[in-house]
Amino acid sequence: MIADLELIGLRKTYPNGATAVQDVALTVEQGEFVSLVGPSGCGKTTTLRMIAGFESITAGDVFIRGQRINDMPPEKRPTSTIFQNFALFPHMSVARNIEYGLAARGVKPAERAERSRRIMEKLDLLDIADRREAGLSGGQRQRVALARGLVVEPQILLLDEPLGALDANLRRSIQNELKLLQRTLGITFIFVTHAQSEALVLSDRIVVMNRGRIEQVSRPVDLYTRPQTPFVARFIGRNTLVGGKLTDASGSIETPYGPMRGVVANALLRRGDAAQIVLPSEALEPHRDGADHDRLVAQYDGNVLSARVLAVEVVAHTRLIRAALADGREILLEGHTGQGSAEGLAPGNPLLIGLRPEEATIVAAEQQQGKK
Amino acid sequence: MERQPILRGLLTGWTALFLVFLYSPMVVLAILSFQSGPEGGPQFPIEHWSIYWYRQLFNLVPASSVAPLPLGGALLRSLALALTTMVVSTVLGTMTAQAFRRHFRGSGVVFYLVVLGMMVPGVLVGLGMALTANYVGIDRTWWGTVFLVHVVYTYPFSFLVMLAIFNRFDRSVEEAAWSLGVSPVTTFRRITFPLIFPGVLSSMLFAFTLSYDEFPRTLFASGGDLTLPLAIYGTFSVEIHPNLFAFGVLTTLFSFALLAVYATLMTLSVRRARRVAVQEEIA
Repeated sequence: MIADLELIGLRKTYPNGATAVQDVALTVEQGEFVSLVGPSGCGKTTTLRMIAGFESITAGDVFIRGQRINDMPPEKRPTSTIFQNFALFPHMSVARNIEYGLAARGVKPAERAERSRRIMEKLDLLDIADRREAGLSGGQRQRVALARGLVVEPQILLLDEPLGALDANLRRSIQNELKLLQRTLGITFIFVTHAQSEALVLSDRIVVMNRGRIEQVSRPVDLYTRPQTPFVARFIGRNTLVGGKLTDASGSIETPYGPMRGVVANALLRRGDAAQIVLPSEALEPHRDGADHDRLVAQYDGNVLSARVLAVEVVAHTRLIRAALADGREILLEGHTGQGSAEGLAPGNPLLIGLRPEEATIVAAEQQQGKK
Repeated sequence: MERQPILRGLLTGWTALFLVFLYSPMVVLAILSFQSGPEGGPQFPIEHWSIYWYRQLFNLVPASSVAPLPLGGALLRSLALALTTMVVSTVLGTMTAQAFRRHFRGSGVVFYLVVLGMMVPGVLVGLGMALTANYVGIDRTWWGTVFLVHVVYTYPFSFLVMLAIFNRFDRSVEEAAWSLGVSPVTTFRRITFPLIFPGVLSSMLFAFTLSYDEFPRTLFASGGDLTLPLAIYGTFSVEIHPNLFAFGVLTTLFSFALLAVYATLMTLSVRRARRVAVQEEIA
């Protein structure tokens, strides 16, 4: 089966010498929802714009359904783009905005009307079909932009932070609509966002980018539980990273807080290499210091840290504990109130933190990532 | 402002003074145009009001010692010149501004070279054009050398107006059109142009007025057939009769009419967008 979208060794260098994107390789299957996430300036939007044809490609190739489209102008590409600011045509009504792309593609008036009516119905836009952009709310503009992009039935829909301009409540409701729409239409979505929560909710796969390169491509759950690089571990979720030296390539690391065990994410790591162990805040289980230490060590396969409570915050069933490790470093524990044995903990109390080795991940040390 | 009545008063006075100085010469001219004729030169105050000099302009009165103004041909020439200059310089200005939306090599230098066109002394440009024409061996004409000089003069204004418009123009609207399969040419015609239309109107108005009463550049660059400002100046040197004032009033009214057309088109295009917005707020 031919992939819907294939990026090979994609690179973008601007005339001033700045490289925005390099070595980007990605294969996307038909009907997949793939998000590009990363901090601003990481190259995610540039990558999207190269797929859309708005930016020239310095090196590498873009294939859509096996056809190389590097030199194809944007209006010929089987993609359509949704912009953060919606970019509606302000001098046209909603209906005309939506029909315009069909007219440009030479679709007959009768079919044009029918297709735009259908998409407006689906997105609940029929009531406002005669309005112009100035008379629309943010959510309505968003839906018009979606309808306009979808009505031309692109092979791939490119979305550039399409929810960025909306308030939090609207964002959430449109997120759900978007996911549903994508499922029912079966169109491939490439979705650029800087909000990792959005990507985690919506995507089949997430591409994390940093400094123009891809750091990791994973399903949301794997990205969350198995970060492969220190950057991803810091960017996704609320993790504490502890540095140390790998004592066993199968997953033992010597840290300033004693030996710990975890799953090694980077196959290149060898015994004796500098490495870091990723401690996810919601996998850390708090225990009173009075608990049987040896039993805890056995229960967590040796992964027990001593700490002192700094603050405890309980909201309904969730409990947030901020604690300080032996050298004063702060660590965050996030969980439900029944977890561990920590009832009645107060600031100043000693605390034992347990972590099952399969929930900890060992990644390379920071410096190594820079060299790669 | 409310708390500073003195400052407020001063500024109001200043504005009033500005308006007085702006319009009083024209008002005086207009009043003078209504004196009786054909005897007597400009005199104030008016003794007998009459439209004699307006009728004289159109040869509706018996011949007298005052010859009819020889301005008809000059008026037509100036109108034709201003209209073509307006179109050509707006098209060129828009195209140049479009080019400047992206940085290209040497764009800074080119920008200043273009804008400098409105800074150089007009008399020198006219003189230079006349000398060049002589040297190359082409005739100086209002539709040739003068037209060229006018376009060169008004083009930077058009360019600056359009540059300001494009600066506020959201590029993603065009990209959205492309991504829907609309060709770049059609995108410009159906998306970009309607959105920059107010700017195009302003640029046209600028170019028209600048060309219509251009004097220093035209002075040397023109041949035997004069443009309106030159012809009017020519009549000064003979003798000034109130028919000239009547003519001045009529051309001013024509300019106002032009401005009215501009204002109407402008409000129409702005209101069309706003009306829809207001309707929605009420609904």
